[in-house]
Amino acid sequence: MTDRPPEIHEQRILGTELLWAVGVGVLVAATLSVVVFTALSRDINPPSNVERIDPKTLHLSGEFAEHNLGTTVGPDGRVTARMIATQFMFVPRCIAVPSGRAVTLRFASPDVIHGLLITRTNVNTMVVPGFVAQVHTEFTRDEDLLMPCHEYCGLGHSEMWATVQVMPDDRFKPGPDGRVSCAQR
Amino acid sequence: MNSADQSSDAYRPSEIADQIDEAALAEAMRVTPLGAAVLAGTAVALLVLGYLAIYLLVFLPRGTVG
Repeated sequence: MTDRPPEIHEQRILGTELLWAVGVGVLVAATLSVVVFTALSRDINPPSNVERIDPKTLHLSGEFAEHNLGTTVGPDGRVTARMIATQFMFVPRCIAVPSGRAVTLRFASPDVIHGLLITRTNVNTMVVPGFVAQVHTEFTRDEDLLMPCHEYCGLGHSEMWATVQVMPDDRFKPGPDGRVSCAQR
Repeated sequence: MNSADQSSDAYRPSEIADQIDEAALAEAMRVTPLGAAVLAGTAVALLVLGYLAIYLLVFLPRGTVG
């Protein structure tokens, strides 16, 4: 029928498919390498913190009592911002953070699952009742950032958002109690 | 017909629907996988470029998180 037996055509097709499989394998390996490289060299990885808290009593005492919310600078200079995500607001509605320094953000929820992200950053986490969500980051630009809730939490979800004021060091001045509040604009 | 021709049904006269120009068939069998590879490769290349563009221009500039 042809001058080539059909096995030759099948071999060519098999060869093409094998070449394609190798190419896809290389692509998958490259993508995974990018993820690992980013985590190891640029310190970018998904936040992973397993820390339990009682959602029914977190507002009464301890770390997430109302008087302890917001941004505080510890004796060792570490900046920690604590917020409660509740239906349908973040408490406090505004936090001040310094630029160019490591900041730890800690969140807890007393009611339902919330989620948040901070625009123009990689901060993105869920806030699950019963657990403390913790994110480490470093803000680079001095600007006001939006922090909306991105996990549907009820009818007021679309109005649930907070502001993050990123300040340069000369404006980020903790008070005697180590707390920093948002600038009034 | 010899035994090699008997190995495939494509060789049975009853299975041949029409007269095929063997040279054209051989050419099509040669070219078609190449064209499929070019199409699939172009699509994948565009996806990879888009992935790299977002990774380098959006994701990395947004800073560290952990």
